[in-house]
Amino acid sequence: MKDDGAKLGFRLTLPAQVLVLFISVFPLLMQLYISLTDWSPLAGTSWTQAWAMWNTFANYIDLIYDHRLWSALGRTALVIGVCVPVEFLLGLGLATLFMDDFPGKRAAYSILIMPMMVVPAVAGYMFFMLFQSGGPINDILSNLIGHPITVAWLSDPNLALLAVMVADIWQWTPLMFLILLAGLAGVPEDQIRAATLLGAGPVQRFVTIVLPRMKTIIGIALAIRVIECFKIFDTLFIMTGGGPGVATETISVYIYKIATQDLIWGYVAAIALAILIVLSIACVWALKRMART
Amino acid sequence: MSTIHLQQLVKRFGPFTALKTMDLTIADGEFVALLGPSGCGKSTTMNMIAGMERPSEGRILFDGRDMAGVPMGRRGVGFVFQNYAIFTHLTVGQNLAYGLRATRRPVDEVNRRVSAMADLLQLTTMLDRPSAGLSVNILQRVAIGRSAVMEPSIFLLDEPLSNVDAAFRTVMRTELKALQRQFRQTMVYVTHDQLEAMTMADRIAVMDHGVLQQVGTPLEIYNDPDNLFVARFIGSPGMNLLQGQPVETATGLALDLGPLGQTPPLSAPQVAALRQAKADVVYGFRPELVALVPEGQGMAMPITFVERIGARTILHLGQGSASAKVVLENDAGLQTGQILHFAPLAHAVRLFEAASGIALKGA
Repeated sequence: MKDDGAKLGFRLTLPAQVLVLFISVFPLLMQLYISLTDWSPLAGTSWTQAWAMWNTFANYIDLIYDHRLWSALGRTALVIGVCVPVEFLLGLGLATLFMDDFPGKRAAYSILIMPMMVVPAVAGYMFFMLFQSGGPINDILSNLIGHPITVAWLSDPNLALLAVMVADIWQWTPLMFLILLAGLAGVPEDQIRAATLLGAGPVQRFVTIVLPRMKTIIGIALAIRVIECFKIFDTLFIMTGGGPGVATETISVYIYKIATQDLIWGYVAAIALAILIVLSIACVWALKRMART
Repeated sequence: MSTIHLQQLVKRFGPFTALKTMDLTIADGEFVALLGPSGCGKSTTMNMIAGMERPSEGRILFDGRDMAGVPMGRRGVGFVFQNYAIFTHLTVGQNLAYGLRATRRPVDEVNRRVSAMADLLQLTTMLDRPSAGLSVNILQRVAIGRSAVMEPSIFLLDEPLSNVDAAFRTVMRTELKALQRQFRQTMVYVTHDQLEAMTMADRIAVMDHGVLQQVGTPLEIYNDPDNLFVARFIGSPGMNLLQGQPVETATGLALDLGPLGQTPPLSAPQVAALRQAKADVVYGFRPELVALVPEGQGMAMPITFVERIGARTILHLGQGSASAKVVLENDAGLQTGQILHFAPLAHAVRLFEAASGIALKGA
């Protein structure tokens, strides 16, 4: 009886399984296959014939010695390391502020979450304009300081990444704010009052009651932003195109360049797969840690 | 330990007045229950004592010291919330130690006081247990212990038994009263359950619609209600209240209750009070304090419903717009539709002025 049920279940879900196989397993296998060859669209053969250019693990060995790849990874890590904590702290501060009433709260709320709604490419273009050497940001700084400032934000290799990070923080702090506001609203009012009556000050209440109760939601917010930030591309690409030189070349920009300019698809597939595997392991590890606490 | 004075206390929420000029003095070590139906202002009063709400007018004094501007964390008030507000992400021990740690007491003092409190409340074996998922009676003890360990001079309890089922409530009532005797603190207890107030409190403050109706010991409130609200609210069932006009009879001044007949003659102090009032009066008596009399004497009312609850029988009586209840130890085979002849015991009769609802207490 039970076996029959399992068989029936298998048959009923078969179409869905085939679909999943097609949309997720097949591309992965295709990628794995190509990553083990020197195949390129310039080769003039179909990808199915890629076995003719079989090179076993040569691509994977190459990526270990690829300095441009490692510095792109390092740059991506730097963006994550700066943007995510700043977005988190700004979001948490704003969310805490929004737990109390103040005049104009609704309007402020709408304005605050707006950046999130802007298409990243449009945001990129906005910041491209803002950071021009004759642009509004230099104008404002000039007025504040009192003498003309003409910093070439986007063409100075030392400043371009900073400009990109500012754009990312502008666009994604609202998401942090929204998630953390929901988390804060979920902390029971009575517990905070009870802690107050027991003599705990605002900081103590925050550290001992609010933060522990928000642990899960903070974990989720950080995970979403780390993963998204790792993939940073559209805003950045419009602002700097990964330049000047390779000054803002993150991992996505690097993959984009070697895929569309160098057309070495076997190598691109190897990089993408390697990153996928490393990220998956990191994700599983982080999730397990979160589940344990 | 501490006395509490509420002076001319008023609380308004926008256009709504939750509490109208309340004056109440609570003595040191006294257990006072604030009793009333929901929305009567009892929780508002409690929250103002705790400092969670600011009074619109009036003053709150602890031991003669004005509490205005003293934040809730510095009032030395222990508060047990209706839902206990246990910190469920902490263990029982961490909950008990929370206040002491928050106020940065030395570690050995924290440990000593927490373990003493755990002993007292029989929580010693639970100290390392996570507090999420504990049963209500343990949660209640943790909530009380968490406040009591701070040795507050005043203890406020906001309907702590309202989430508990009826059978358990009896157990917890006894437990709470025993704890109060141990702590010897001034306690203010908010409840809508008169049984809780009656069994635990030294004095009860009955409230309705933001107005303090009467303050007194449980028996004073039960026996001598100050007004019709208290008479109706206290007791289960509440006091019988019948409209009547004074009438002279051969045996003295009595009340004519219309179709229900005449009441037995009134006592001398009541006659005196009645002659002063010269108005329509309400005749009140407890359903339990009634004697059955032969036909022709006392009052007569048809039985509309017989409610048998084991040891006692509650007879619902009704005629026209008048209704009453009589509680008998023994139902004597009475049936719906029969006419009940009864008379309230002379000492149990209370009179109220019909217009104002205020009791006419013998001068």
